[in-house]
Amino acid sequence: MANLNIDSAKDRTFDAIVIGSGISGGWAAKELTDKGLKVLMLERGRDVKHIKDYPTTNLYPWEFKHRGEVPMDIQEANPIVNRCYAFKEDAMHFFVKDHDHPYVQEKPFDWIRGYQVGGKSLLWARQTQRWSDFDFEGPARDGFAVDWPIRYKDIAPWYSHVEKFAGISGNRDGLAELPDGEFLPAFPLNAVEDYFSKHVKAHYKNRYVISARCAHLSKPNQIHLDQGRAQCQERTLCQRGCPFGGYFSSNASTIPWALKSGNLTLRPFSVVESIIYDDNKNRATGVRIVDTNTKQTEEYYSKIIFVNAAAINTNLILLNSKSKRFPNGLGNDSGVLGKYVAFHNYSAHIGADVEGFEEWATDGRNPAGGGYIPRFRNIFKQETDFLRGYASGLYGYRGYNHKWEGVGEDFKAGLSKKEYGPWRIGSHFMGETIPKETNFVTLDPNLKDQWGVPQLRISVDYDDNDMKMQKDYVEQLTEMFTSAGFKNIKAETNHQAPGLDIHEMGGVRMGNDPKTSMLNKWNQLHACNNVFVTDGACMTSTSCQNPSLTYMAITARAVDHAVSEGKKGNV
Amino acid sequence: MDRRTALKNLALVIGSAALLPRCTEHNPVTHFKNFDVTNDQQSLVADMAETIIPKTGTPGAKDLMLDQFVWLMLDDCTKKDDQKTFFKGMGEFNDLTKKTYNKSFADLDKKQKEDLLNTFEKKSNGYSKELNGFFSTVKGLTVFGYTESKYFMTKEIVYELIPGRYNAWLPVKNNIAAKNG
Repeated sequence: MANLNIDSAKDRTFDAIVIGSGISGGWAAKELTDKGLKVLMLERGRDVKHIKDYPTTNLYPWEFKHRGEVPMDIQEANPIVNRCYAFKEDAMHFFVKDHDHPYVQEKPFDWIRGYQVGGKSLLWARQTQRWSDFDFEGPARDGFAVDWPIRYKDIAPWYSHVEKFAGISGNRDGLAELPDGEFLPAFPLNAVEDYFSKHVKAHYKNRYVISARCAHLSKPNQIHLDQGRAQCQERTLCQRGCPFGGYFSSNASTIPWALKSGNLTLRPFSVVESIIYDDNKNRATGVRIVDTNTKQTEEYYSKIIFVNAAAINTNLILLNSKSKRFPNGLGNDSGVLGKYVAFHNYSAHIGADVEGFEEWATDGRNPAGGGYIPRFRNIFKQETDFLRGYASGLYGYRGYNHKWEGVGEDFKAGLSKKEYGPWRIGSHFMGETIPKETNFVTLDPNLKDQWGVPQLRISVDYDDNDMKMQKDYVEQLTEMFTSAGFKNIKAETNHQAPGLDIHEMGGVRMGNDPKTSMLNKWNQLHACNNVFVTDGACMTSTSCQNPSLTYMAITARAVDHAVSEGKKGNV
Repeated sequence: MDRRTALKNLALVIGSAALLPRCTEHNPVTHFKNFDVTNDQQSLVADMAETIIPKTGTPGAKDLMLDQFVWLMLDDCTKKDDQKTFFKGMGEFNDLTKKTYNKSFADLDKKQKEDLLNTFEKKSNGYSKELNGFFSTVKGLTVFGYTESKYFMTKEIVYELIPGRYNAWLPVKNNIAAKNG
């Protein structure tokens, strides 16, 4: 039982509680503390202090016992997380192992998680594109999900707000479908990417290849130096944590900023079991946590609560927050909670040989990863037999040409040659998926995790629309590569489970109508307006742009509303 | 000493004993986590690695202890089934050497060792899956260990932990980076 001693309760009372310290939780804490609120940030995992807790960050490849490979016993014990591209010897300590937090897969779902201060913001791929009204108006135009309660104009100033602080590199490309932002200089396209960009522009209407926009300090401004961050050094070892703070993470940016204000209390090792709802006051009054070290339950109280536990865990917390008023989960009058979960379809890629361009190579490493092809399907009107569209990654590369055949002196000498081989080009598919009632998460009635919290059952799958879109990506990219003169083009599709894209969204969606959505246009629960959900769970649809930048902007916007309405006594 | 400490110390003793060669009559055995390896087997892998990456004016496989890396990776990072296949292939490799030269690999001269290993580079060599797999595992791990060794990454193709630049347009002439590029 929680200790309800009155003095102690006072110590455990804050102006606001933020659940989760990942990319959106970090922003909630920063914005709330900037506005003078006393904030408690709860993180289920351990603390990871910037630089100090990046144990592998300065290791050379030969300093890893297995040169980066994950030992087989760890691979075999962790089939789910082992499928993640970044689960390697240098960063595996930042991933949740399969047995740490089990869940029931009604359908295959690779739930990739990072339980530590900073969450997955340490590990993300750092691609940051704004959404446009072609995204926010999508559900209404194409007749799926529910209408977004916001439009681009509502969020545009908040994109600017977070971009300036986080530091986003990119070009002002002037595309309606991918609005420009507050950019630091872009990382340039290389010779082959640039050729392809020009070719596509000349031969296709409304198709573009641009420098990928990413959260790297290509040229820091004062605001970034003030955070203690420095210019990106092009290490591209980001998943280890960056000692320069060259890319944006909660650990390097928002959390130390919020701590510096003196207004933030950070409590790691705190699994949120539920949000406490007071049936008399008709509001949420705090949260109940399990201390993961002591396994003891404790309660913390506040006027407002931001839920930023990462999409699926945010669903779990709300589903598990049952009261007389909300027997089916907090704010769940509509029965929508946990439903309309969606993700990004990453099930295809394509590669080809490139002839020519012998007079160029690259030197150093590109933190942006190369180019980006914004969505070009069904933007201005519906034009295919599937809904929505896809973005594509695009990268040209040229390495040294090392002969693999043979043994002995010549073979050995050959490995040291710095003679460039031919160029290659590659692309990967990033498709929007349609949120559906049949893609959902629920609580298992019996199974519990090691903290006594019910396990989740996850039931999420692809549909026909996804398969048609995948086929179109393969056809269109093959045609574009052929048209550009690339050779030996090989497209591959895979059957990777949803979740491995690590872009799971929804379940607590925004909408205008409380009967069909959980959150209003300010990310407040319709039925409990001092609880805000601003992580991936709030997303009404998924677009095909990487979602993190939008979580940041939505969070800053919601905090601004929470604080200004709080002052008026409306929250 | 409490029971837990005693057990821990006992485990340490057993653990270090496991790393020491234990003498059988002629062919001492080293215990790895997942398999035992005889001295002859260790010598074979070391000789193969040295044939693949020989000592020249620069260090070779034995200098860089690449054979130890092969065993480490086989022990730690390889599926049990693939470990079994490796040893089966190794047996076949010894048979092949005997059949071809009527000698063991260790007794071949340098040219013979290279010739034998080069037969594996031919696609239709008629060898079994296990035999080809054994060679490609030894070669793959030897080359991986070599190109990821401190020596190689500091003296041959220098690895930069902190490039501090991305030059998207590096001028190249005759496939070599042009000077002042």
